[in-house]
Amino acid sequence: MQQQQRLEQGFGRSLALLVACTLCLAVARAEARAPADMLSRPAPDFALPAAAGSNVRLSEYLGQPVVLSFWSSRCGRCAAQLAALDRLYATYHSSGLVVFGVSVEDDPQRALDYAHAHQTSFPLLLDGAKSVSRAFEIGVLPTTVLIDRGGVVRYMHSDDRPNDPSYVAQIRALLDDRLIPP
Amino acid sequence: MNFPKATHSPMNTMMHRLLRSLWPLLLASLAVPALAADAAPAAPAAVPPPTAPAAAVPATTPAGDAAAAPATADSDAGAATRSLDEQIQGLKKDVVDLNKDLFMLEEDLLFPANTQVAVFVSMDVGDFFALDSITLKIDNHDVSNYLYTPREVSALLKGGVQRLYVGNLKAGPHELVALFNGKGPHDRYYRRADSIRFTKGVGAKYLELKITDYQRAQQPEFEIKDWD
Amino acid sequence: MSPRCSGVVLALLVALAASPAAHAARKSDPDKLPSIKVQDLHYGEVLFQFYSGEEFQALTELEAFSQWQRMPHHAHDADLLAGGLYLELGMHNEAGVRFARLLTSDVPVGVRNRAWFYLAKIWYQRGYYDRAEDAISHIEGQLPEELEGELVNLLVNALMRQQRYDDAIAQLRGYHGSPVWMAYAGFNLGVALVRANRLAEADPILTRVGTLSSNSAELLNLRDKANLALGFAYLQADQASPARVALERVRLNGQYSSRALLGDGWARSSLGDYRGALTPWLELRKRSLLDPAVQESFLAVPFAYAKLNAGEQAAENYETALKSFADESDQLDGSIAHIHEGHMLDDLLGEDKDARYGWNWQLKALPDTPQSHFLYSILADNDFQAGLKNYRDMAFMAGTLRKWDDSMDAFAAMIDARKRAYAERLPKVEALLETNGLTRMRDARAGVGAQLDAVETGNDVAALGTPEERSQWAHIAQLEEQLQAMPPGLDREETRDKVRLLKGVLYWQLDAAFKGRSYQEQRALRDIDDSLEELQNRWVRLQQARGSVLANTEDFSGRIAALAERVRSTRERLSQASEQQNQYLEGVAESELQAQKQRLDAYALQARFALADIYDRAADDTNGNAKPAGAAAPAPEQAPAPEQAPSQTPATTVPGAK
Repeated sequence: MQQQQRLEQGFGRSLALLVACTLCLAVARAEARAPADMLSRPAPDFALPAAAGSNVRLSEYLGQPVVLSFWSSRCGRCAAQLAALDRLYATYHSSGLVVFGVSVEDDPQRALDYAHAHQTSFPLLLDGAKSVSRAFEIGVLPTTVLIDRGGVVRYMHSDDRPNDPSYVAQIRALLDDRLIPP
Repeated sequence: MNFPKATHSPMNTMMHRLLRSLWPLLLASLAVPALAADAAPAAPAAVPPPTAPAAAVPATTPAGDAAAAPATADSDAGAATRSLDEQIQGLKKDVVDLNKDLFMLEEDLLFPANTQVAVFVSMDVGDFFALDSITLKIDNHDVSNYLYTPREVSALLKGGVQRLYVGNLKAGPHELVALFNGKGPHDRYYRRADSIRFTKGVGAKYLELKITDYQRAQQPEFEIKDWD
Repeated sequence: MSPRCSGVVLALLVALAASPAAHAARKSDPDKLPSIKVQDLHYGEVLFQFYSGEEFQALTELEAFSQWQRMPHHAHDADLLAGGLYLELGMHNEAGVRFARLLTSDVPVGVRNRAWFYLAKIWYQRGYYDRAEDAISHIEGQLPEELEGELVNLLVNALMRQQRYDDAIAQLRGYHGSPVWMAYAGFNLGVALVRANRLAEADPILTRVGTLSSNSAELLNLRDKANLALGFAYLQADQASPARVALERVRLNGQYSSRALLGDGWARSSLGDYRGALTPWLELRKRSLLDPAVQESFLAVPFAYAKLNAGEQAAENYETALKSFADESDQLDGSIAHIHEGHMLDDLLGEDKDARYGWNWQLKALPDTPQSHFLYSILADNDFQAGLKNYRDMAFMAGTLRKWDDSMDAFAAMIDARKRAYAERLPKVEALLETNGLTRMRDARAGVGAQLDAVETGNDVAALGTPEERSQWAHIAQLEEQLQAMPPGLDREETRDKVRLLKGVLYWQLDAAFKGRSYQEQRALRDIDDSLEELQNRWVRLQQARGSVLANTEDFSGRIAALAERVRSTRERLSQASEQQNQYLEGVAESELQAQKQRLDAYALQARFALADIYDRAADDTNGNAKPAGAAAPAPEQAPAPEQAPSQTPATTVPGAK
């Protein structure tokens, strides 16, 4: 994974040049993949700035279950989704649950305004270039991605029912994974 | 009567058992106080020993020593455990070596020395500058845009030097431009650019972006060093 | 020890290896470790990975950069760091090799001291206490303050493990260190004195540790432990009153409270206060039956009732104990069967047992299933935790290799693409090289150069004229020839004058421009030379490439194929070793459960004895053979020494106890 990450981040350009041919196939395959194929795969790593606070790199949260919720100011149901996640976060934060809202907004100012208007106790991240939503193959909003302690995508939801018992059960299942890292 | 004649005192037996079973517990934990010592300034055992103390040195595991693990009672089992541990240690070493060879293959293959250029980042003190991101351009092409998390900034402040970018360049003259973003003095947004012209020769080229505090001006300083 | 701590230790290990000047200048911010003066960029990169928590990447880079000789200034630091990282990976052998490399005289004494220190730790952990002591004796002068306390602690423990209590006491007398290490030293000293049968001297020392005021959970635990140790030392010396004083200082919510409650009950009973003994024991009996102290309380409660002449209650409570022990024993059987079915690690680790959780992980909680809750006692067992970590390390390594497997395909494809590109371009390259173009151009350049030299030497000003000038010059020459053929006479003289004039004007013109033109030509030649040189370089590279690319790609092909094979076979070995480790861990767990079962069986046997005794007496009573009240149990002085009743004390619960 280290190597993989490093290739993807620091070395991206040179690798792209050198292995363009090789990767063409892989990229073509990735694009053709349905979002459901994200399941059971390692979540693509990313680093994004937050509307308030420090930058966030997903791979630094290996060992903790992570919920990503993709939102936009134009999405009517996203506010309710974020509010519901905020309640879940309040309940499970102390057990190690990590939640990030990821904006899918062209206009950074709009995203910031929205973030300030909808204060959450978890960080709202700004993905102006939409690279993260592309990497996670987000088609509809709101979409919520549940990642386990090992960094693998376990569940994806394109609805706004975070209070649904099955949804809570999934989060609890991720938390219930018994290995507690330092 | 179904039972042998009870001639002993339950109290005495139980008390003795209690004493006997507690001394080992006390001493076992005494031996490794760090087990109970999460916040000890420097706790003794970095790793719990993977095997029972070696039976090969009986003198060092006195029979009366409470700390001897149950496994030592059975020397065959102890030997088996040790041999499995030895085997696993050897296997782990093979994996470390293999991983190293794979790492070297990757770099030789993707960034051979005659075209390799690597850009490193170091940061000293950081009282006047909180690093947020660095954008690198080589010969006017964006080659890296890296966001720093608090953990990475802290790794830099402890003396780590990040190999931010590795790529390939032809021999000859080139230009590197680095854009530093972050918070400067008084928490103000701070953006600075620095550039360097360098010549790529036959060997790998290393450049270092150095962020230092300039005490007298109470300002950060940015410097690009060409390691020749 | 806690992973967090080991990280700090390692960090110190790295930081302190640096030049003292580097951190002398730094501010004393506790969050910032002293930074080190990095002289090789690649060593800095290794530290960056290490400080970012990517230990395996740090180790990989450390080994690779060493092999590439990119860290010439940090050879010692690299060995020290590698040793520490191998130690954390449970690889004592390799760690020992690395530390041992630093024991030569050309290594600075500070680095050498740390190497001896870590070697001592390795020997201690492996049970070679004499070697640990020997390694410590090689340390010259003082270690840095951060390590000094730990060093003394290590030495004292090594001495006590060898039952050399007097030596340990000598080391600890007069020890001064940080408050935390002082507390540990006090505790160790107290225990050493107790073990050396010097309880009177131990009392004030253990009492001091047992009454220290602190908010730290660690020191509060140590305080409890000191009180427990002192209490039991007095109990063993048949001094119940001072024992009670110490035991009552143990916190009720701490991890030692069960044992303290049990001991307090025994202290009260030995003072004859059986009613008072019931208070801690009944409290204790409400707790989880997994705790051996709680199991004992199931026997202690009816014992006290019997002493109080409450035969009926005593019998009832023995019956309750028998029932509880039997239930617990059945559950243990279920757990053992569950382990036999091979479910243990699945239960313990969950579905994601091969996912990556970082370098230092520890199993701290168990799933709440009936099968696994008996395993709580083995969580405290270092061997088991180390074995579990071995299992997880291997799973992490297998995961790393699996990812490389994917990369290997990409690498192989890359080399294929290079080979194809080479094959496609080769004919063109061959054709080009065969034209001998470079030689021809060089020859042409030489010709032009010689011509220009001749022109300059001969001062042939016309040679550099414009085409028009040269045509005029040629025309004049032609006219001069024709003049020769003319019959002498006035016309010829007149014409010759005109030609001479024309020629003179033209020559003047050519001569005036010659210098400038010559310079222009020379400059043009230099440009040609530059281009020729560039061409020559490319030509040589092309020639070299024609030969080497193939060899180079073949070399990579070979490396890739060999590594792919190593990845495959190593993954296979990892999977086999994991299975063996799994079986080993199951074995450890099973013997632990068996030991628990034996202990319960022994308690049950004892309960049956006592019960039978009570019933016998009750029968005697009804037969009119009344015995004095309170004699449900024979008097202590009639009892044989406990060593003569081995069946009552399963050896596995008290290994090697005297």
